[in-house]
Amino acid sequence: MKNTLMATAATLLATSAMADVNIGNPMAMTGPIPDLNAPIAAAVDLAAANVNAQGGMFADGEAFNVIRADSACDPVAAVDAVTKLINVNGVSAIVGPVCSGATIAQAESVSMPAGVVTLSVSASSPAITSMEDGTDLVFRAAASDAYQGVALAELAIANGMSDIAVSYANDDYNAAIAAVFVEAFEGMGGTISANEAHEPNKASYRSEVATIGASSENLALFSYYGSGGITLMRNALETGAFANFIGADGMLSDELIEQLGAENLMTSTFTTSASDSSTPSFAAWQAIADEAGVPAADPFVANGYDATFMMALAIEHAGSDDREAIAESLRAIASGPGEVILPGQWAEAKAILAAGGDINYEGAAGNQDFDENGDVAGNFSKSTIVDGAWAAELIQ
Amino acid sequence: MWEFVNYYFIPGLVLGCIYALGAIGITLTFGILRFANFAHGEIMMSGAYLTWTVMAIAAGAGLTLHPLVAMVPAAFLVILLFLGTDKFFYKPFRKEDTIKVVMASFGMMLIIRSAVQMIWGPNQITFVRGIAKPNATLSEITSNMGLQILMPNKHLFIFAGTIILVMALGYLLNRTRIGKAMRAVSDSPDLAHVTGINVDKVINATWIVGGICATAAGVFLVMDTQMLETTMGFRMLLPMFAAAILGGIGKPYGAVAGGLIIGLAEELSAYPWIGDTPLLSPGYKTGVAFAIMVVMLIVRPQGLFKGRSF
Repeated sequence: MKNTLMATAATLLATSAMADVNIGNPMAMTGPIPDLNAPIAAAVDLAAANVNAQGGMFADGEAFNVIRADSACDPVAAVDAVTKLINVNGVSAIVGPVCSGATIAQAESVSMPAGVVTLSVSASSPAITSMEDGTDLVFRAAASDAYQGVALAELAIANGMSDIAVSYANDDYNAAIAAVFVEAFEGMGGTISANEAHEPNKASYRSEVATIGASSENLALFSYYGSGGITLMRNALETGAFANFIGADGMLSDELIEQLGAENLMTSTFTTSASDSSTPSFAAWQAIADEAGVPAADPFVANGYDATFMMALAIEHAGSDDREAIAESLRAIASGPGEVILPGQWAEAKAILAAGGDINYEGAAGNQDFDENGDVAGNFSKSTIVDGAWAAELIQ
Repeated sequence: MWEFVNYYFIPGLVLGCIYALGAIGITLTFGILRFANFAHGEIMMSGAYLTWTVMAIAAGAGLTLHPLVAMVPAAFLVILLFLGTDKFFYKPFRKEDTIKVVMASFGMMLIIRSAVQMIWGPNQITFVRGIAKPNATLSEITSNMGLQILMPNKHLFIFAGTIILVMALGYLLNRTRIGKAMRAVSDSPDLAHVTGINVDKVINATWIVGGICATAAGVFLVMDTQMLETTMGFRMLLPMFAAAILGGIGKPYGAVAGGLIIGLAEELSAYPWIGDTPLLSPGYKTGVAFAIMVVMLIVRPQGLFKGRSF
């Protein structure tokens, strides 16, 4: 008995001593967008499971562990979560912060000073492009809103809106995309009739919608659905202040249909980052996702898979889980030259890397070639209500 | 003119009613137990979740309960929660420095919120689906009188509920023995003690009154926003504290007045008083409550109704 115990203890010690590869994954588990976050988190886990099922990391097949924390879509909570991941869990890299504000805050105060690479799954604020300050530590697997804001402005013009009122939540993501949208819309000859910030998480937005509602029939709403977006739309619909609504990813959730009713959303259009479903990469991803029961085409779900898979490839390419080499390897595996690797092809990639070859990961969400700022290009879709549910259509 | 009434003044009053009911509990705890109860917002929130659960269970049994009815059993549970936290978390610290019990209440805040997230999940829950159109009868009657008042039913219920609760509270505090004892303890606990008032009984009564008002505030809040969310109580905490301080600590009527003033000030600050842009960007609404609280603490720390000053 005693021997058994000793042996068990020895095994436990050996397991924890054996160097698994650990990456930190701060996700917005609570906060304003838990609904959007859940499938993205599932995609992250799926990528890690694929890696581990096909031989794991390095020659001796170490486990690829995703250590999850809650960034709550909030700058303060993200800093706490990532501080813990980096200092206590000693993770090699960060894949995660979902929201732009959380990503910027944790990068500036924790991960960049610690020299740890951040690869965000969905942060889209244009501010992230230029925040690295001489380092090469912040990447993202989702396209910048510098493009989405323009796409949304084109959509508004195409829908025949010549004037529009803008209301945005006062945070990094929403304020930034609103600014891009306003500039693009005015550049295309449209009139911005009002442009006001609103404070998230208020119980009532009636005075806001009344003030800007006098100026136009159309509202461009930039907000997270869970921290005021739905309330603001409800107040606007109740008072009849606006007839048409457009907005971006933060608002695109089934919660809107659940809470406001599809019949009240017939005049709403929201854009989001989307995948071009005609590529072989997306087909490969669709097969993996369907088998695992993950909704392949939901916003940023493919990006979550890509980010995690690319991080594993980068660490494999670097040959160790040291923090220093990851940024360079991330660039090496994401773009050409090299053998094209599709989502799920971990064993193939591992074999090529072991033989000293180059690989080029073509992601489910896009080609995932990082530019000098660590940004990727992307596609966007617009969603409208068809038969009581959101139906997406690729626009760019 | 009617735009002002319908889109600024009435919403400000609705918000003010919710703040007022929450602030009553805060001001009573502050006055009688002498500590700032940070868990009050979470108690409000759990009251709303319990009400929703009662409604969901009733709906499962084929009964459609109005939130104001479902609120009654929920309020009982909230009172039990209040008394339980007092017994196990606050009472042991009652003879200690105030800061310890304040910290205990801060801990309770986190415990209750996490527990709600565990039980009901972090996702938003729909309370009432769809949008609330103005009450047609009211619009018709008022337009016959040359007025144009647009109010959805939910706001009428919130006003009626608040008026009934505040009147009941007034009766309790002015006409009943326990209510008078509560006021006495609030004014001077030592003097109340030597005159033979049972302080423990008064403390329990405080939690009961606070629990009822907090549940009502939480339910009115979800009736207005039509959804449940786990941080909604915490977000109301600052304006409710501002209302309690504005009205004067330990003064329930002060809390009511303070709540209405804070609610109105927040909504009216965004009215285009000068020109056609908002006087103050709506992005600074929360700042309005905070600014009122700070100015009041500097200029008149005892509040409008001459409460306790620290």
